Amino acid sequence: MRRLLLLLLLLGGVGVALVAAAQWEVGPLVITREGEQKIIFRFNEARVATRPGWTLRLGLPVIERVERYDARWLYLNTETQSIQTKDGEQLQIDNYVIWRIEDPKQFRTRFPSGPRDAGERIDRIVRDDVREVVGRHTLGEVLEGRRKEIMAEITERTRGMLSEFGIDVADVRINRTELPAGTEDSVYARMKTERERLAKKNRAEGEERARRIRAEADREARVIVANADRDAEIARGEGDAQSAQIYAEAYGSAPEFYSLSRTLEAYRKAISQNTTLVLSPDTEFFRYLRGVEGDAKAKSRK
Amino acid sequence: MAGDAENVAAEEQVQRSVARTLKNGLLFLIVVVLLSAWAYLGFYTLQPGQAAILLRLGRHAGTVSEEGLHFSWPPPIVAREIVNVSEVRSEDFGFRGRESEDTARDELLEATMQTSDNNIVRVPFSVQYAIKNAFAARFRVAEPNAVVRDAAQAAMREAVGRMTVDGVLRERREALVSEVRLLLQDVLDSYDSGIEIQAVQLGDVQVPAPVRAAFDDVVAATQDASRLMNEAEGYRNEILPSARADATERREAALGYRDAKIARATGEAMRFAAIAAEHRKAPEVTEKRLYLETMEAVLPSIDKVIIEPGAANLLPFLPLGRERGSAER
Repeated sequence: MRRLLLLLLLLGGVGVALVAAAQWEVGPLVITREGEQKIIFRFNEARVATRPGWTLRLGLPVIERVERYDARWLYLNTETQSIQTKDGEQLQIDNYVIWRIEDPKQFRTRFPSGPRDAGERIDRIVRDDVREVVGRHTLGEVLEGRRKEIMAEITERTRGMLSEFGIDVADVRINRTELPAGTEDSVYARMKTERERLAKKNRAEGEERARRIRAEADREARVIVANADRDAEIARGEGDAQSAQIYAEAYGSAPEFYSLSRTLEAYRKAISQNTTLVLSPDTEFFRYLRGVEGDAKAKSRK
Repeated sequence: MAGDAENVAAEEQVQRSVARTLKNGLLFLIVVVLLSAWAYLGFYTLQPGQAAILLRLGRHAGTVSEEGLHFSWPPPIVAREIVNVSEVRSEDFGFRGRESEDTARDELLEATMQTSDNNIVRVPFSVQYAIKNAFAARFRVAEPNAVVRDAAQAAMREAVGRMTVDGVLRERREALVSEVRLLLQDVLDSYDSGIEIQAVQLGDVQVPAPVRAAFDDVVAATQDASRLMNEAEGYRNEILPSARADATERREAALGYRDAKIARATGEAMRFAAIAAEHRKAPEVTEKRLYLETMEAVLPSIDKVIIEPGAANLLPFLPLGRERGSAER
């Protein structure tokens, strides 16, 4: 019983010791952490590429050797370069690459001196690809709609080029495009004229609409007044016609008497204070002026 | 002496067994102390917002994110990485606030972008992000901050490149923000970065200083245009009611005229009819009466000359030219 316990303890202790030793890459156990991968060499020959977890080896010093590589997605910002687009515009393009060591053994054979060389190579390849692909498109395509496709194309191309280096590429992305210094001024000039044109257009259109509103208002006002005038004339006409009819009906029933009474009424109006009337005593009114008998003569005159 | 020897032997035996027991006890004690000391290393506490990534012999064996005391196999069996996950990080692009002489050229460039209509705008912005997957953020991507920085710029440029300058400056700012956020999140997810974009904020979006006046003028022009239209509307609102009032006046006046005319005609007709009725009853007398009444009314106020019919030759001597008014019968 005690022996068994001791044995277990011993085994556990040895195990822990081995694991601890693996931290310094000593002993038969190789521990690969997440985010890294290791190559185990024997006599300078890459034998095994590890994945996260533990791997056994012989553990002989000098003969065996372990190299550690990053397994994470790595970030690389390539140098800004000036590229001519299909339509002859110069563009300053800055891009970045997300890449990873996919096959460390292959990677090691292509870049024996380490990842620094790899970075330079990737930088060169990516920049060539970008120049190549961007050069086949116009400035407009690069800047707007087709940017996504262009980047996908570059990524695909770069991935193909780098796969033989044991490298996987997740993304090549243009993060910055600039017009080269000096051309800015011409862009500004164009922007300015464009804005001036827009401003003029806005003002002119505003005036157009304003004048239309005024003109329509004027028209409406005129029509309103004219319609009223029409109605007014119609009403006046009705008034005149109806009154004429009323008069005609009334006076028509006694034309003789109308003539008399209307004439007399007219006298009242026509003969005023400033009138001098030369009258004959023969008139009806003065019939009795010369006496009650003298009326026959006057009557005949009337 | 033999007894002595036996005693010594027994004593030695006792001593040896005591020593062995002591030794065993000591060993046990050491083992226990060592084991518990090692086990003690397996305890760890997590503060709020922290997560522990556990690597058992290098492999990912789980992520613990509840705060409090936890236990795992102690190192080196299980290695722990404690990561702060609740912290919101921020990346700023371009200057915050207004552009000035001492704004570094690099900062300017960071925010300088081209729109689909080939205008240059300065779009300073910031991105807030946090870790949504501690394991991925720690072990899948080498430089998450740099990746966020460049990917954010790429996303913003892509989104701005699809918009017109007016869209970026005014109309579609909200759309721009949400589009950048989606684009950026997509890109970051495609690298399995474990990063979550929480917010994208636009700063003071402007056109470059040399063309700002021209842009402002367009805004002013729009305002001018709407001012003109407002004035025109005002004119319309003024002129139409007055026209309607005019129209009503004219209509009413005409109606008044009509009704008055008819009323008057009716009245006069009635009056005439009444008199005519009387006249019919006694024509002679009525005619005479009317005549005399008229004369009575007319004659008193006027100058009258009564001349015999044979005395017409007297006419030249009358002062007829004295006044304009003259009448004859």
